Order: sequence, then C-alpha cells, then structure tokens
Amino acid sequence: MNADEPVNAQTPPSLSRRDCLGALGTAAAVAGGALALSGAAGCADATRLAKRYCGPEPPQNAALGHASVALPPAGPTDPAVRLLNRAAFGPAPGDVVRVSAMGTAAYVDEQLAPPTSDAEPAFLQRRLRTAVGDLQDPSISALDFRDIPERDVLRQLSQAALLRAVYSRAQLRERMADFWTNHFNVYARKKMGAYLLAADEKSVVRAHTLGKFGDLVRASARSPAMLGYLDQEASRKGVPNENYARELLELHTLGVDGGYTQKDVQEIARCLTGWTIEDRFLHRRGTFRFDPDRHDDGPKLVLGHAIAPGGGERDGDAVLDIITRHPSTARHIARKLCRFFLGDTDEANRWTPKLAAVYAKTNGHIPSLLRPLLLSDDFVHGPPILKCPLDFVASALRALGADTDAGPALQTHLCAMGQPLHEWPLPDGYPDATHAWTGSLLARWNFAFALTSGGVKGTGVDLPALVQAANGDHADALVALILARRPGDEAGRSLHQSVAGHLARATGNVLAEAAALCLASPQFQWR
Amino acid sequence: MKPWWTCNGGGNSNANEPPPAAPTPTTDHRQPTTNALPRRVLLGGTLAALVAGAGERGAPSALADVALRPGPAEPNGDVLVSVFLRGGADGLNIVAPFGDDAYHRARPTLGLGTPKGKTGPLDLDGFFGLHPALAPLLPFYKDGTLAVVHACGSGDESRSHFEAMATMERGQRGDQKGQTAGNASGWIARHLASSPAEGGGNGSPLRAVAFAAIQPDSLRGATQTTTLNSLADFRLRLPPSVQAPGAADLRNALATLYQSGGNDAVAHAGRETLAVLDTLRRLDPARYKPANGAAYPASDIGNGLRQVACLVKGGVGLEVACLDHGVWDTHIAQGGATGWQANLLADLSGALAAFARDLGHERLQRVTVLVITEFGRRVEENSGLGTDHGRASALFLLGGNICGGRVFARWPGLEKQQLDPTGDLRVTTDYRDVLAEVVARRLRNDRLSAVFPGYTPRFLGVTRPAG
Repeated sequence: MNADEPVNAQTPPSLSRRDCLGALGTAAAVAGGALALSGAAGCADATRLAKRYCGPEPPQNAALGHASVALPPAGPTDPAVRLLNRAAFGPAPGDVVRVSAMGTAAYVDEQLAPPTSDAEPAFLQRRLRTAVGDLQDPSISALDFRDIPERDVLRQLSQAALLRAVYSRAQLRERMADFWTNHFNVYARKKMGAYLLAADEKSVVRAHTLGKFGDLVRASARSPAMLGYLDQEASRKGVPNENYARELLELHTLGVDGGYTQKDVQEIARCLTGWTIEDRFLHRRGTFRFDPDRHDDGPKLVLGHAIAPGGGERDGDAVLDIITRHPSTARHIARKLCRFFLGDTDEANRWTPKLAAVYAKTNGHIPSLLRPLLLSDDFVHGPPILKCPLDFVASALRALGADTDAGPALQTHLCAMGQPLHEWPLPDGYPDATHAWTGSLLARWNFAFALTSGGVKGTGVDLPALVQAANGDHADALVALILARRPGDEAGRSLHQSVAGHLARATGNVLAEAAALCLASPQFQWR
Repeated sequence: MKPWWTCNGGGNSNANEPPPAAPTPTTDHRQPTTNALPRRVLLGGTLAALVAGAGERGAPSALADVALRPGPAEPNGDVLVSVFLRGGADGLNIVAPFGDDAYHRARPTLGLGTPKGKTGPLDLDGFFGLHPALAPLLPFYKDGTLAVVHACGSGDESRSHFEAMATMERGQRGDQKGQTAGNASGWIARHLASSPAEGGGNGSPLRAVAFAAIQPDSLRGATQTTTLNSLADFRLRLPPSVQAPGAADLRNALATLYQSGGNDAVAHAGRETLAVLDTLRRLDPARYKPANGAAYPASDIGNGLRQVACLVKGGVGLEVACLDHGVWDTHIAQGGATGWQANLLADLSGALAAFARDLGHERLQRVTVLVITEFGRRVEENSGLGTDHGRASALFLLGGNICGGRVFARWPGLEKQQLDPTGDLRVTTDYRDVLAEVVARRLRNDRLSAVFPGYTPRFLGVTRPAG
C-alpha cells in the first residue's frame, strides 16, 4: 500500500457522470422533500432557506433576550487533541501521536506555513483532478461551463472541498478556507453563482487563505462570483446598487457596529460603479471588468476620507485600502476568528482586543493572528464548540480513516444535516452558533450508522483493520480512535462503558454498531 | 379613510382608544388543575398505553381512542398553527379592495375586477373580495371562523425579504438598523418560554414543531422544538442488517448515551430527539386518515397541515406548528384570476379548508391558524406583469374562536397621495397587534411584555377571549 493512501484505502470506486446524476437525483429528491417550502420552486430559491437567516453580528439587545445555550463542561483536554479538533478537521489515525511527539508549537508552525498543493498526497491530487476536472480547464471562460448542469458543478465544488477537508495535510489551511468561504459567502444558486465559484475559490479564498486579510478583500471585490451575487455587476452611475457596498462594510470588513453611516454605504457604492462582470462578445466572459462608462467619476467622501474626482477604477481600490486599515475591521475580523476558534465564550471576548491589536500591527497578517490564539491556554482549556455538519462529517471520516470519493451519496448526508456547501443563500455564511445545529442530531446518527455499515455509496471503512492496528480491546480502540480519549479520561469513560456493553451484548455486526454509537455519541458532536 | 370593521365579540372597537389592559385570565393557569396533568406523565404512561400497538398493521388507529379523551395532553390555550407565506405575498390580489377605484387603475392587467365579473373577487363586505382561488375559504368566512386583517405589516422599510422576515419572525418593529440581527430570539420562542404551560410541565418533544429544513427564526431560542421535514421521514435509519431486537438494543444504547450526557445543548437535544422518535413510532402518522371527508391537496402545505392535524388529534402536547408556503415573490407573470399566484392560493386554501374540516367544529375551538407574509407588493403592476416588493399586505386568522366574517382594516387608500413615497400600501395595523392578541387571548399567555418587549399592542378584537 502506498504510504500516501488513507489507512484502509481500497481502489476508489470510480463514479461515472451517470452514477452521479442518478444518485444526485435521489439526493435532490430527498433534499427537495426535505427543504422545499413549496412545490412552486425548486431548491434554487433563496427565500426557501431564508428562514435560517441569522443576521449579521449583533449589537446586544438585552430586552429581546439572548438565546442562551448550555455548553458541556470543558474537562481536561489534551492539547494535541484540542488542536487537531479545531485547527484540523479532527484527528486521523496516528495524528494524536504525531502531534504529541512533535509538540503543539511545532505543529502550529508547520500548519501556518503549509507547502504548496504539490505536497498533497498523490491520491488526493488524483481524486481532485477527477472530481473537478470539468472546472479546471483554464482555456474555458467561466460562463462557458454552462453546458454542465448546475447540480454537477455544485457537486464538483463540494466534492473538492470535502476531499481536501478529509485528506489534505494542510489541515489548518482547509479549516481557514472554510472560514473565509463563509466570510465571503456566495450563494451558488443565485444567477450564475455556481459557474463563477470555481474561479472565486481559486483567486480569493485559496489564493490568500493564510495571507493578508486585505488581499482577501481586494480579491473578493474583483471576483465575478461576488459581484454577481451581491448585484454589484448592475451598479452604474446615477443608479448605484448598494447591495455589495453594504455587505462589504457590514459583513466583510467593519462589522455592523463598525461606525459607518448610510451615507458611507452610498458613497462606497458610487466609488464602485463600473466594477462588473465581463460579458461582451469576443471577450473573456465571466471575468472582472471595469467599465468606465458606468463609473461615477465625481468627488466622494468615504468614512471621512475625500476621494478626488477622476479616479476611475482607483476609487474602488482607495475604498478597499481605507476599510481594510480601519480599526473596526481589525476588531470585526479578530472577533470572528476568536469565535471560530474559541466559540461564543468569554474567552473569545477577552481575546478579541488582543487580536485586533495584532491585526493593526501586522496589517492583517492571518498567520500572525492565528498563532497566539492556537497556542493559548484558553484555546486548550476553553469549553467545547459544537461541530457544524461539515465538521462532523469530515471528522468522522478522518477518525475512521475512511476511503471516500466525497461524491453524491456523502453529500446527501451533509444536505440532510442542513449544510449543503455553497448553498447558504445569505451573505453572512453558515451560522456558527450552537443552537443553529442541535436540530441535526438525527441526521448525524443516521450518517453514523450508514457510514460504519457500508451504507454510503463511494465511502468505505475497514473497521477490523482499524481496531487491529490500534492493538487493544475493541471498545478501547474505538473510543481512542473516534474520541481520541485516553484511558481513564472521565468524558470517555461513560462512552466506553456503553460501547463495551453493546459489544458484549449484541449480535450481528457489533463492531460497526459500536463504531456508529461512538460517532453518534454526544461527546463526538463537540470539538 | 375607511373605518375599522369591528368585532361584536368583545374586541376594542375603537382603534384610537388606549390599549386595553392585558386580559385577566379566567382561570389561573399557573395552578395545576386536573385538566393540566404534566404531559410527561401522560406521555410516559397513559398515552403509551392508549396507543400501544398503534404501529401494528391492522390495529385500529389509536388516534381515535386518544381523541375520545380530551384534556390532559392539550395545551392551556389553542394550538397555534403559523403559516408563513415566503417571498412577500400580494395582499391586494389576495383580498382585493375592489371598492377602491385606484385598485383597478393601478392593475389594468392583474386586477381581479369586481365581484360582478366572471372571474372577479368573491365579495366579502362590498369593499373587499377574496381572490377566486380562495373560494374554499369562503364558507369559513361566512360562518365566522375566518378573519382578514388588511393593510397590516411591520415597520421594516428595507423591502428586503431577509430583513422583513427576520423582523416578523422575531416579533420586532423593524425600523432600526441592526435590531433584527444577532441573538434576538423568535416571538414564538418567547411565547413558549413565558407561557404558563412551561411551569405546567409540558415536556412533550412535540410541543413546538416546525415543518422545515432548519428551525425557523420565530422559534429561535426555544428549547423543546423539533424541526422536521415529514413526520414519516423522522426516523432512525438503521442498517438493513439490523434485526428487530438489535434495533431496540441500538435505540437503548443511544438513549443511554444521551441520558448520561449531562445537561448541555446536545445532550438535551438528543433526549428530545429520542422522545420524538418514540412518540412518532406509536402514532404511525403514515396511516393517518383525515376525518369528515377532508381532502388535503398533495402539496407541501397540504401534507404539512395534514400532519399537524394528526398531531393535534394525537393529543401529544403540540402547542405550536410552523409551516411555510410559497414562493410568493411574483415579480413577473404573477397572473390574475389564474396563473402563478392563483395556483399558490388554490393550494393554500385547499389545504386550510381541508385542515379545518378534518379537525371538525369542536377541535377547531382550540386551534388558531395564522397566515402571514413578510410584506405586500407594489400597488402598481410592473411591465413584466408582476408586482415588486411593497409594504402592507393582508393576513388571515382561522379558528373556532376567531371573530371572523369580517375584514379588519383601517384602509389607507390606494390613490397616489395615499400611498407611501415608493407607491406602496401603507401599514396601518402593526402585525404585532394581531400576534399579541392571539398570544394573550388564544394562547392564554398574558406575559406580553416578555413576548413583545417594549411594545404596547392595541387589540383589534379579532379573537374571542379564552373562556
């Protein structure tokens, strides 16, 4: 077996387009039944999902009551396990030993400066090529992918994201890619979103995941996917569209309480008139274009900075410089990162000003923001965070060393849990709040039973090999693998009892059932 | 300006009067009475016994047995069924103000005309008329169980679906930037948290059910809510290799895991999920048969309301059901008496009528259906033969104790100078006035300051006080 392959890799089942369509048809039927509010429109309607809207960052409104959520006690946490649970998509077999041996600081440094994608395992590179082959031909302009059905494009995008989350060695980069994908959320089913997202991913998130925040914003502002999603493409002199300008301030940079006014939104919208998507015949359609004819070249005043007339495309760049250097942006980004890695906790509140100061000092250098956070005591000892469905699925696959093609069958489960990738209709990205995801438990349990019993097409686990490799009694081995718990760890003990009890009592495929119980356990839902 | 149509049923007949004091409950529902046995007891014992065997093939439906025993499992107040019309439903063509001349001028193509026309609106009171596709609801209007509140809406002027929906589902005013954001809970969640039933011990896992993919904002912050797509789909899917005794073993193992899981959000949610699974296995909703010849449309709203009826009759402690309908965002090709909107209306009215018929007169006394939308649409039709986002719309209330047979409206008029600057029907009734009245009188929760903080509602008298 090639050392690159996952623990129990078999030949990945090759999934033909027809298989995908068939399976995805089923998936869509299930999801459609699951999601549709009416028969009037398909999955594609934004309003259908809008009831999940959680809004931008809150100014606290005591009168309306904080929907408080009980977290389990933190308990003693192994620093290596915590790090793998939060900076990575959970430990894969062997990870805990490796990180413990090298030390958390060395692991964090390794993860903050990952080698290029060439260093990914060969099988991952192969699978990515297979999965997203259609979207990778640089000779085709984005809008000419339209021959491919939208659902196939979406399937490919999700497949790539899932494969990377499960198998990439640069786990922190993949975590942050997920973070920025939600921060700069584009709803794939609005307009041509799905077709523009492949390029968006490459030029925005993946180009700057661990770079400087300002570069992310600048890339996003020229991303056709974003310009289409937030209606910037239609904005022109005299009738500026404020949609993108508003979200740029409210969600991407300053934050809703960042101290800007409606006038600032309008002025920024004027600055950005003419930033649009190329759609002229014989041009490279679906790329960024500045159209001087649509640009409002008058003088503007943005957040107290005068912008002289005649700046053309440079007006927008001036705006981006102003807002990415703004202290509210430092605080907003610091707060989001703290919440992402520390949860919605007091610790996160305490860390926000510290990180905001780092942002100011390093001009938004993302690794400089992450390093102190990931190596802090609060990170290790703070209360756990509820896994969102993507976390849950990826960490389950990693824990069991699963061999997955991340195809339609797997994606159907993610959809049933409420998190089809790139399908959050609102610009704020999937919520990270605990209460948003507690309703997905049944779907998680069903996934646990399907995964361990070979019920997810294109995804396999070899449990006997796993427990044999772990070299202990089965219950011990499963608890150690899945929860990364050490013997005697209190939180692991009750689970161990249940699992051991089940193994002793039940007949049938007990190993699979015991593994499913571990994945379905309350303990495995937290990271 | 057209005056209020008021209700003889004890409502506040003058909109300019100061708001009434919160109604005095006729009984102190915080004191447990024989009619308010803790649901937990019932679910664990009586009901389990009653419905034991309900899942067996050929066994008579246990629902019938349950139905004969009123009381214990029913909520203190009505069951609230909240139907949200997503996308901004055009109230002007749902309950058409055919008596307003400007209506006909603004809608040369989409307008429904007058009741005299072949496909005209169904006359309600000489001024307003129901869209013809709502014909199935006309009998309920006539017998006084259906009421319309028109020119109703929130203060949200963003004309953004998301903002306006967030405003309404959280029970907010909606004219302050940022107020709809963040951690504000939903109005139904606040009702559940402040309702006397909380202390009365309704621990039913089916206390509040949303037929949706993700918990709607109106339930945000509530515990004891279940979000599901279909009662039948809400089941544990064990591998085909697992035989019956093994399945019971696995369910027990899961229960053990979550029972010992402490009191955090996941442990709590897990126990609720298991309890819901248990209850549904006993109810067997797939075999539910509607009563009184009620025929639900085979649509999402039809199936949804059918399942709500099953839960209501099942006496499982259901207090709130949330459903969604539509996409009502009719920017182009809205249609008039037929077409896109008419099809949605036919589906909605067919489902509501079947629901009311299925429940029957007696049960309908303890059910209140609210049909609401985030905003109405522009008065003037657009060049795409549709309508754009507007302000006020119409909402419906259906139930045995609704002061129906009337359109409640302080009609602002449709002439240019009577519209708001964008050309939209002005909001003359705050939607929270209706919601608050329902909460106080029908759901019997008088803690309105907890449900709608900072707002003093003005009751329209569209419901009868709970007796």
